[in-house]
Amino acid sequence: VKGRDKVGSSTRLARGSDTLASGLAVASLALLAGFVSLPLLSLGIWTVDKGAWRAMASPVAVDALLLSVRTTAITMAILLLVGTPAAYVLARTDFRGSRVINTLIDIPVVLPPSAAGIALLLAFGRLGLVGQYLNVFGITLSFTTAAVVIAEVFVAAPFYVRQAATGFGAVDRTVEEAAMVDGAGHWRRFFRVTVPLALPALVAGALTAWARALGEFGATIIFAGSFRGVTQTIPLAIFAEFQRDLDAAVALSVLVLGFAFVVILAVRYVTAGSTG
Amino acid sequence: LAALIVSGVTLGGVAGCGGVSGGEGKQQGGTLTVLAASSLIDAFGELANRFEEQNPGVKVRQSFESSSTLLAQIQQGAPADVFASAAEEEMKTAVEEGLVNGEPEVFVMNREIIMVPKENPANINQFRDVAKPDVKLVLAGKDVPAADYALEILGKAKGEYGADFEKDVLSNVVSRESDVRASVNRVVVGDADATFGYASDYTPDIRDRVKVVPIPPDLNIVATYPIAALEDAKSPELAKKWVELVTSEEGQRVLHKWNFEPAA
Repeated sequence: VKGRDKVGSSTRLARGSDTLASGLAVASLALLAGFVSLPLLSLGIWTVDKGAWRAMASPVAVDALLLSVRTTAITMAILLLVGTPAAYVLARTDFRGSRVINTLIDIPVVLPPSAAGIALLLAFGRLGLVGQYLNVFGITLSFTTAAVVIAEVFVAAPFYVRQAATGFGAVDRTVEEAAMVDGAGHWRRFFRVTVPLALPALVAGALTAWARALGEFGATIIFAGSFRGVTQTIPLAIFAEFQRDLDAAVALSVLVLGFAFVVILAVRYVTAGSTG
Repeated sequence: LAALIVSGVTLGGVAGCGGVSGGEGKQQGGTLTVLAASSLIDAFGELANRFEEQNPGVKVRQSFESSSTLLAQIQQGAPADVFASAAEEEMKTAVEEGLVNGEPEVFVMNREIIMVPKENPANINQFRDVAKPDVKLVLAGKDVPAADYALEILGKAKGEYGADFEKDVLSNVVSRESDVRASVNRVVVGDADATFGYASDYTPDIRDRVKVVPIPPDLNIVATYPIAALEDAKSPELAKKWVELVTSEEGQRVLHKWNFEPAA
């Protein structure tokens, strides 16, 4: 602090503290990178060491992976179909109560998934608020793959809708209006102008939402239950196997890691051209 | 947090020395960690209160999960003092792997029952009805004692109800839950038509929502619950005292209150 009187020493001091600051920042990054990679590395080492990879081809693992692929694909289809127009409305219009809806849509992000599972059970379970009427028509959701999808949509939707709305919000209205002047209809304008401009945000949002759906555990196990091939997604299979066979749980963890990695790379590759 | 616990233990120890004035040289205070099968949650909860009253300054921490989960946790070095299992098998493994201190003691017995929602949507009025088509049956997970016993019962029932009985019942299973209490809760909330649980799982708080369908005595099993102090116990003295309380007349009375049968 005293060095402030002298211009020279204060610059040197500032330069010194700059170096220190960037050094600390780099060290923090290294620390974080190490912290993230260590558990992943441990998974890999255990898999090779104990031959746990054999369990990846077990029926439990295969069924769980296929179910996770199926449910997250349906979840994403629903999110893109319903979430995209919803996000556009959120971004473009300011109706009465839009702030309330904005907050409401974000709530599943902060709600612990297990709490979401209880809430879904009380709503859509056989004796639930809605479930009891569905039951009259012979529709029961508990213990079905549909329940898994409901849980995944519930927890993943905000991640897509939020980022999509931000993306749409950043699209210049004048560009959209110019397209209208050029005679493009609403649909055309939306798909030819708005969506391409917001695409990076849509893709990023979709990936985050997909990852969240893939990892969904608490809401699924409470609302949908756990049964091989029907409701036992990979996270549930990991939990079930952990109680019986650690090697199998490790193998499933590596499997889901690899699967997520491949999907993220593929999406990045496919969209690299269109998003620049 | 660890430091906090340690300082708490030390303080408790010091206070104990002052209070008892070296009378019996008993160490007071400390924490006892009990890992117990989830069916014991109510009975052990009550016993923990008594234990804390009888041993001022002592804190009882308990974790209730399926015996198979608890065994896995102990194998992976979970810090605990006592293990109470709902089946001999998990305890046997613990003994074989040198995780247990001394001989396990069977402290209580239990029987299986079928539980259905009060409204009984699948119309299950006797044991053999669980094989009817379209019954939504929930079981505890693979290797969880409650489910193993259920499979044992189904195996026995084959002789009486025909070879397809077991297959029909198993094809009704819609979910495997992490422990027996979770599977009972599926019936309580009304989503499952039936589950296998222990007599002790039919607790007062669920009696207005759940009905019991007995399993014929000749097909039923007797679940024996062994308890033992653990080799790596942090509080071996308290662990010993806990086992003594559970096997004492007082402990047996509490367990009986929660529908357990006395051991032998």
